[in-house]
Amino acid sequence: MLRAQSGDVRAFEQLVEPHREIMFRVAYLIVRNATDAEDAAQDALVKAWRALGRFRRDAPLRPWLVTIAANEARNRRRGTGRRERLALRATVSPSGEAAPSPEELAVAAAERRRLLDGLEQLPDEQRLVLECRYLLSLSEEETAVALGIRRGTVKSRAARALERLREVHGARV
Amino acid sequence: MELESELRALAAEIEWPHTPAVRPELAPRPRLLRHRRSIALAVAVVAVALAAALAVPQSRGAILRFFGLGAVRVEFVERLPAAQEQPLSARLGPTISTAVARVLLGGPPLRPSSASAPVLHAQDRVVSLLFLHDGHPVLLSELRSRSGLLKKIVVPSTSVRWLRVGNDPAIWITGDRHVVVFPHAAPQLAGDVLVWQHRNLTLRLEGARLTLRDALTLAETLR
Repeated sequence: MLRAQSGDVRAFEQLVEPHREIMFRVAYLIVRNATDAEDAAQDALVKAWRALGRFRRDAPLRPWLVTIAANEARNRRRGTGRRERLALRATVSPSGEAAPSPEELAVAAAERRRLLDGLEQLPDEQRLVLECRYLLSLSEEETAVALGIRRGTVKSRAARALERLREVHGARV
Repeated sequence: MELESELRALAAEIEWPHTPAVRPELAPRPRLLRHRRSIALAVAVVAVALAAALAVPQSRGAILRFFGLGAVRVEFVERLPAAQEQPLSARLGPTISTAVARVLLGGPPLRPSSASAPVLHAQDRVVSLLFLHDGHPVLLSELRSRSGLLKKIVVPSTSVRWLRVGNDPAIWITGDRHVVVFPHAAPQLAGDVLVWQHRNLTLRLEGARLTLRDALTLAETLR
């Protein structure tokens, strides 16, 4: 960090390398467009570089980078732009020890699809909270700073979103 | 299963778009100036630079940021300087032998494997080859990375993307036109360009109809 803050580009690149993926994915969830997310992540790195001198060395880097990427993504969000849907992998990972039958795999895939569809039907503010918390495994604190809301709001939105998702997803859960 | 657990399990099944090799386009951050004398000197230098910029009426405006890749320096400016449209063959220079190219580049020039022995040219230590790709002319320029000769001037609306040619760092400049400044030559307008660094060389591929895919394929097959 000290080397990066004193102007060492390579040191900065090494610092941010472990966080590139989470920055891109947070941006992607917000703009739902891979090209815009890439631009947002790129510009976020430039802004982080410029602001690095003001960054507290003992503070965690990931929430700071995620916040900058999320801000850049929000600035790019286009109401009328093409919105990509999250896609599922072609194969479903087996959850138990025994190899699942083709039928079980098909049922599991259908369940995942239904859950993802339910998530997509939520209002953006609720969807984003659940996606950050559960799909990206961000902490409440990280979700709060990434989305620019209070930690308490993350909790209440997540609770409302889960409730709504249960309704959308069906009485099964 | 709890809904939260299902959502966590869902995370493993998401087909995320590939995380691109995003790299910051960075200018070196100035080191902190710790002494008054340094600050005074810096202020004086900035003042002189400002005065010089203001004294040039057709100044292209402030350099917003810049970065380097091998022998190429890419500058982002508010507006492009005056530049002319020129054919790819405009500044090839005289033809040279492979032996001369080896001396200029410190090693053998790279050539497209598909084209039939394109003629080598050189001007100001830049070795160039003009050849046809899918029936359209493509210009390959090669120069030593340490020479630091080539300047690319782009506006913020021009897209400059970091990528890789094999394991080599590369940039793809596309979108709005940009200006390329070869040594001892007038600025000229350029279209989509792939620039990358390979060993001690900086290479540049330009063609009016060159797509990124074509450029990457061509670059990776140079021998």
